[in-house]
Amino acid sequence: MAEEKFDRGTALTIFGTDRHEDLVALAVSLVIALLVYLYV
Amino acid sequence: MVYTQRTPWTLIMGVIMVAYAYLVQSGALAGVIKYLGTDRLTGEMLTLGYTFGGIAVLIGLWQLVAKTAEGHIDYYLSTIGGVTFIMLIAFIVKWGLDPQMAQWGRAAQPALGFNFASVMNLNYVVMGIVAGIVIVNVFKVPGWAENGVRLSRLGLKTGVILLGALYSFAELQQLGKLSVVLIGVFVLGSVGLVLWWGARRNLPNSMTGVLSAGVGVCGVSAAVAAAPVVQAKSTEIAYTIGTILLFGVICMFLFPIVGKALGMGYITFGAWAGTGILNSAQVAGAALAFQPTGIETLKVAEIFNITRVLFLPIIVIWLAIWYVKREVGAKKVDVGQVLISKFPVFVLGFIILFLLSSTGIFAPARHYQGAYFDNSDKVMVKKDRSGKEVNNHLKDPDLQLLQKEGEKVKRDDQKAALQRLIENKKLMSIEDDDTLRGVVNAKILSKEGNAVLAKAHRAVRHTAAKIAMFRDLIAWFFTFGLVGLGMQITMASIRQAGGQPLVIGGIVGLIKAVGSLIVVMLLVHETI
Repeated sequence: MAEEKFDRGTALTIFGTDRHEDLVALAVSLVIALLVYLYV
Repeated sequence: MVYTQRTPWTLIMGVIMVAYAYLVQSGALAGVIKYLGTDRLTGEMLTLGYTFGGIAVLIGLWQLVAKTAEGHIDYYLSTIGGVTFIMLIAFIVKWGLDPQMAQWGRAAQPALGFNFASVMNLNYVVMGIVAGIVIVNVFKVPGWAENGVRLSRLGLKTGVILLGALYSFAELQQLGKLSVVLIGVFVLGSVGLVLWWGARRNLPNSMTGVLSAGVGVCGVSAAVAAAPVVQAKSTEIAYTIGTILLFGVICMFLFPIVGKALGMGYITFGAWAGTGILNSAQVAGAALAFQPTGIETLKVAEIFNITRVLFLPIIVIWLAIWYVKREVGAKKVDVGQVLISKFPVFVLGFIILFLLSSTGIFAPARHYQGAYFDNSDKVMVKKDRSGKEVNNHLKDPDLQLLQKEGEKVKRDDQKAALQRLIENKKLMSIEDDDTLRGVVNAKILSKEGNAVLAKAHRAVRHTAAKIAMFRDLIAWFFTFGLVGLGMQITMASIRQAGGQPLVIGGIVGLIKAVGSLIVVMLLVHETI
């Protein structure tokens, strides 16, 4: 997968920066934690 | 650029997943499930099959009929095809290949003299990564799946953050101290060794700098993070990434085999993998390959990995100062700005989940490794599936054995805890449980005596439903991330390694792996 194939993100991630990816991972985790807390 | 491709494959994979879940639910696959021994997985087969299959059917239909324009919706929804592709491979490997391989391993044991599936670690983690490597290098990842494959690192990071919910203060305190010492020595040592050696071999400062970050801290991310401060060229970053990938892939497959051959436990292996392997994703891969049926090893390895990642800003500052001293005209470094910009936010997420869990919202307070203490009759006397009553109090032969071996226990607090256990036929408090766990760890009693104490421990420790759910979710996030990671390990990127950087990186990586193995075997014990 060549890097220049994507005009957004890199060959390793769809996000523009590591920080952006970290923040999305954090948001997804908090949503999952909330759902586990409420429904399990 | 429009990313959505008009393909029937997302829809087809969705229909396969839903149909599989339906066949499991209807009992049509009961014979196959019984043959493979995967009865305990039917719950996740239904939930995941219907959920991912349903989403893929909807998005697959939309991709076939809707006109897509460039934008966020196109970009993010185009990942669904790749995510479904990875999950389908994960389903096949985890629910089909893994149990089948285990059966073949057992069947061939009399002829071969060893269980090849166990010795070669042919479990779902290893086979999932290998499947990914084979797909990308032999068949090529289909164009409609490429965007989804680029989400695998997000899956791994989400898994690490959720893992924070499973630690208790006691574990983190003990593992944390150990990891800071071990990681501190090996990270700083390997960065220093690469910098020293690179200078002696007259490598460009930018090449040496970026290689030292990659070999010392956390692989690819560290190389990319350090590149701007040492003004590394893209070819130098590529050399470093190639070296790290080649070394990391070898370690990922070799570490679990060596760990099993040396009879390492969860803690020793987790500590070794977290210290000795260069890249975060491959640490997770090795830990799960070592223990595919539980996440105790992964938990230990990730503490070491996170400690290593936390060293990243410090290493970047060190490299920046080192580079400024050696290069005329290099820009001076703003330490505060580097600390803020390079701090890995997903580690903060891990800490947030740990703090949330410590408040007792996911498991009763003072849980240990996700298990909480309850010795009330409500949980000590239960009914099994057939409705028969099962009493988990210790039985007379167990009590007689403990009574007989009691004189081996010399410490007063341990003697008192053992006496209370014998009188009440069950553990009476968390403190007694902790005290007698110390007796087990110190191997004071015979093997049979320890087995009775372990039985008493299991009877009063219960896994909270929320924690059990976190464990399942974490295992699936890592499975998704690792199959996707396999699809990113291309021979082209590994071939980028070569020359002096490969020699220096390889030898320093090897010193770190062997050195950390020796230190772990000498200093780390299975007592946490």
